[in-house]
Amino acid sequence: MKEGFRQAMAWLHTWTGLIFGWLLFAIFLTGTLSYFKEEITHWAQPEVPTRALDPAASLALAQTYLQEHAPNAGSWFIRLPEAREPALSVGWRAEGAGRRGFIDKTLDPATGEEVQARETRGGDFFYRFHFQLEMPHPWGRWLSTFAAFIMLLGLVTGIITHKKIFKEFFTFRPGKGQRSWLDGHNAIGVLVLPFHLMISYSSLVIFMSMVMPASIIASYGDNTRGFFNDLFGAPREVKATGVAAPMLPLPTLYEKVQEQAPGTRLGWIEVQNPGDQNARVRFTRHAGDRIAHMRGGGWTYDGVNGELQGASTIEATPMLISGGMYGLHMGVFAGPWLRWLYFFFGLAGTAVIGTGLVLWLGKRQLKHAKSGSQPGELRLVEVLNIASMSGLLLGVAAFFWANRLLPVGLEGRAGWEVNSFFLLWGLSVLHAMLRPGRRAWAEQLGLAALLWGTLPLLNQLTTGHGLVHSIAAGDWAMAGVDLTALGSGLFLAWAAMKMWRPPVVAAKRAPKAAKAASANLIESEVN
Amino acid sequence: MLAVALFGFAGFAILCLSMEKHYKDLLSAAPSAARLRSLRVGGWLLLLVALWLAVRHSGWAMGLVELFAVLMAGVTFWVFLLPYKPRLLLGALAISLVLGPVLVVLPSA
Repeated sequence: MKEGFRQAMAWLHTWTGLIFGWLLFAIFLTGTLSYFKEEITHWAQPEVPTRALDPAASLALAQTYLQEHAPNAGSWFIRLPEAREPALSVGWRAEGAGRRGFIDKTLDPATGEEVQARETRGGDFFYRFHFQLEMPHPWGRWLSTFAAFIMLLGLVTGIITHKKIFKEFFTFRPGKGQRSWLDGHNAIGVLVLPFHLMISYSSLVIFMSMVMPASIIASYGDNTRGFFNDLFGAPREVKATGVAAPMLPLPTLYEKVQEQAPGTRLGWIEVQNPGDQNARVRFTRHAGDRIAHMRGGGWTYDGVNGELQGASTIEATPMLISGGMYGLHMGVFAGPWLRWLYFFFGLAGTAVIGTGLVLWLGKRQLKHAKSGSQPGELRLVEVLNIASMSGLLLGVAAFFWANRLLPVGLEGRAGWEVNSFFLLWGLSVLHAMLRPGRRAWAEQLGLAALLWGTLPLLNQLTTGHGLVHSIAAGDWAMAGVDLTALGSGLFLAWAAMKMWRPPVVAAKRAPKAAKAASANLIESEVN
Repeated sequence: MLAVALFGFAGFAILCLSMEKHYKDLLSAAPSAARLRSLRVGGWLLLLVALWLAVRHSGWAMGLVELFAVLMAGVTFWVFLLPYKPRLLLGALAISLVLGPVLVVLPSA
């Protein structure tokens, strides 16, 4: 009976893994890139200058700018520059305008001048893609959440299927064909398992109110907004009196926050009814100050007399758990070295999915190796494997290239960057259909290696922020993206060379009996 | 923090050596049962020290996150380099065993 259970789990692992593997690979890779969302945005907008951080001075500049450009707005939003993202962002909602009437601008944090940066979605594109998939709301979220559920299922069924999880804990045997792929799949899966489990479980927690709304609906009916207001504290919208009153300088209020919580970093600052008797200023904490991500926390001041109106810190245990899961997933709290580890673990997750897809196909292709012909369904899987892996790498590279090559003033520029991503990705499907499997891999990986490897050169030629400049200036976010691209290019070149050569024949193990035995073993383990 | 990583790496490396197959491969000698048992105990003790150091350095929440991160990184490094550079890994193990305690004893750590 136990074997039957294990086999059932292996079947589930195999087939859900195949069907969702292509999508999960894309979600994991773009999600991994999102750990460097701010750095990628910085790379994508080299016009935004990096300045020494001075929150109080930046707040004063933002206030001056908003006072001048949006004195009658219903509310202002300010996001302070931080080490990872140098821009000072301000935004406001035009009076009487709905959600659409939102205007935002990027300022130089040292001068308060508006920065004319190229239009791009930067790192935010990959971040949004990894859970919305560029699909209409809410379908992308549902699909990616379901994929996360399949990932969790894949991990659990994978653990059950893996017969020697402890015995082969430290085992990796390269150069042995399918056996090596399975070893690699198992080892990356098991050794980085805490990360994999955390990331897929927490994605379900993040979207739990969407996925399992029954308990909310039972108490609140259609009024889900009421639930969130009770949970996070209703945004106490204070009506404007219509009586003008001079506002306190924001740096003064900033000092008050620092008195309340010395050394605290700030995320968003929201000013309601600026210039009115009833002005309110809300400071929220920077999400990276602690692991658990707490919504709704912060300090609200009266903008005219400076009285503290309310400070909320929600410390209920369920909130702490869900906020903790959210925070662990996002990794905003992570400093440089921990962020790099997050990035590598994300790549490990991507690799587990990729190796799984390769295994599925490899095992079935072996059966048809002698006959020389391949059934159509295997060819379909092969094409999808190539396009979803090497093709995606091409698409991501296309986004970065488009960022540097598209004219700065182009209408709908940000959209064209996204289009280039999908265009090259789509072309990779065509290419994979037209070329024989191994050759298609080699060519796509080779092109990806070229695009990634020469990205620093392109940056050097098209902007004044190439490696020569960025390293000298200590701009490690800019240099980091270039160097990572270079490293990826080298890795992809190595992979392309491997695919270019004829396949390594796995039948090197000498004694025939042992070979047959181990072949059977693989047969029983690789599903 | 480096100390946590070194203790964690050494802990997993020694746990690996406590398995007969790996011990034979790496040290080209057959271990006694007692040797394997003491390696296993030693490996777990090193991991416990890593846990203690991580929590002492960063508190429970951040300490556990950092501990898991460096443990996963260390053991992945060990496993995937093992077939290619076993001698280099044994060297890294020796260095970790020396440098880890040194970093703990140093006042700045």
